[in-house]
Amino acid sequence: MAEPAKTIPKPLPEITPVTRPFWDATAQGELIMQRCKDCGSWVWCPRPACVECGGEKLEWTQLSGRGQVFAFTVIREVVGRALRGFASDIPYVTAWVDLEEGPRICSNIVGCPIDQVTIGMSVEVVFEEAAQGIFLPKFRPR
Amino acid sequence: MSLRGAAAIVGVGETPVDRLGGKPGEPRKSTAEYLAWAFRLALEDAGLEKKDFDGQGLAAIYTTNHSQPFWPEEAANILGVSPAVSLAGGNGGASAVSLLGHAAAMIQSGVVDLVVVVAAAAPFSERGRSRVEPADTRDFEMPFGVMGPNSKISFVMSRYMHESGMTADHFGKIAVTARYHATLNPGAYLRKPLTLEEYKNSRMISDPIRLYDCVLPANGGKAYIVASPERARNLRKPPIHLLGWGERNNASAGPRSNANPLITGVRECGKAAFQMAGVSHGDVDFLGLYDDYVPIVMLQIEDLGFCEKSNREFFARTDFTIKGSLPIQTGGGMINCGQPSTTGGTLHVIEAVRQLRGEGGARQVAGAEIGLVTGLGAVNYGKNFGCTATAILGGKT
Ligand SMILES: [Zn+2]
Repeated sequence: MAEPAKTIPKPLPEITPVTRPFWDATAQGELIMQRCKDCGSWVWCPRPACVECGGEKLEWTQLSGRGQVFAFTVIREVVGRALRGFASDIPYVTAWVDLEEGPRICSNIVGCPIDQVTIGMSVEVVFEEAAQGIFLPKFRPR
Repeated sequence: MSLRGAAAIVGVGETPVDRLGGKPGEPRKSTAEYLAWAFRLALEDAGLEKKDFDGQGLAAIYTTNHSQPFWPEEAANILGVSPAVSLAGGNGGASAVSLLGHAAAMIQSGVVDLVVVVAAAAPFSERGRSRVEPADTRDFEMPFGVMGPNSKISFVMSRYMHESGMTADHFGKIAVTARYHATLNPGAYLRKPLTLEEYKNSRMISDPIRLYDCVLPANGGKAYIVASPERARNLRKPPIHLLGWGERNNASAGPRSNANPLITGVRECGKAAFQMAGVSHGDVDFLGLYDDYVPIVMLQIEDLGFCEKSNREFFARTDFTIKGSLPIQTGGGMINCGQPSTTGGTLHVIEAVRQLRGEGGARQVAGAEIGLVTGLGAVNYGKNFGCTATAILGGKT
């Protein structure tokens, strides 16, 4: 009688000319970010120009992929229609990870029971394929 | 150049809020109806007529229902006025306080004598158009399952607890105080007393954010009318003057790729408002702080300079009720009175006007002469609120 539940897709990043290098790199298992050649600032999320000095000489730079959990939350409820695809993952952990080079990135903590995630814990990047050819950088305990 | 005394609020209008409209057969009011209703109430309060607004100013706050580029024009069409100046409130929850300064500047410059600030939303009645998310959210938060502001404020709150040692008892005290004020406010939506235990037992939404940390989405409309000092004389109600004002958007304490999210733009715009007003913290009789989430109230109290950062003792000791040394959320705040989308911040402006007129009834702060209100909107990637504004209002200039 009941039809099989449709798989609700999770939102995927829209790949633009500005963000393409980042996603090309994650597909190769590398974490890169823009860095300003004029003032040395990290620029994240990807931008056409440096948010600190306005310079346009931004250089994609490889990161170690290591960092620490700066803040985190356990997601327990879906909010909004666009995110219903995450319902079956609940509860899961989203976090702000401060990378050892400085910039902060928003991601998930994986490979670890949710009640063992702590602020300050050391993590390293792993890449999960979210759709064909699109790899999301996530973090697991190191 | 200062906006001190440049304009006064002369009328306020607030429709009842409701959460109906989601099921077939339930009465539905649209955003347009709430908008017209709130405007009518504000006109009555001020003793003005609709025709007084032809050739004057209209400031319309964008909502998630009506985010089209012509919203101020459509609002004018709905209200049947022909403004000489249209101001568009695009600062989300900060718009209500932001537009107060923008309106005062247009009045001070002599372009208009009156500006009506209108705000309405009916998220439970109208499905609305799909939200257009900024690129950072669309590409670098949503694919990781970040559930909008609930999650983003949870990041901030988790870090705040880690750095400050604040616990659910500290947050709960704010929630309990706001609810106590709501029990004294006939216009509040949630009026049942709330205990600290009930707060702590409310379900986790997004650790460490609990149900009673979160605002109550609602349908509703609000409006307030700003007038030049000359025009404000001899109207129905006593004018409530703008004493100080400031706005700061995309504030970043520290490098933008690694900001301190515990420091909000309120630190900057609050300082500007105090300087303009020429008053000190001790002169302020009550605060109406933007409260889509409880912990944000505490960060603002710190950033406004009422205490140092992470001062647990201050939050444990201070009586924030209307009888206390620093009353906050005197009408119950948005968490109890409801938040009609991005128009929610108008609540604090209107409540401040009521207090300063002495119309607070059972929740009146005795002898209130100066009040401070804030607005916040958007939550930026890895940071805190993107839009912030502060205003200081007074019954006397
Ligand atoms: Zn630069």
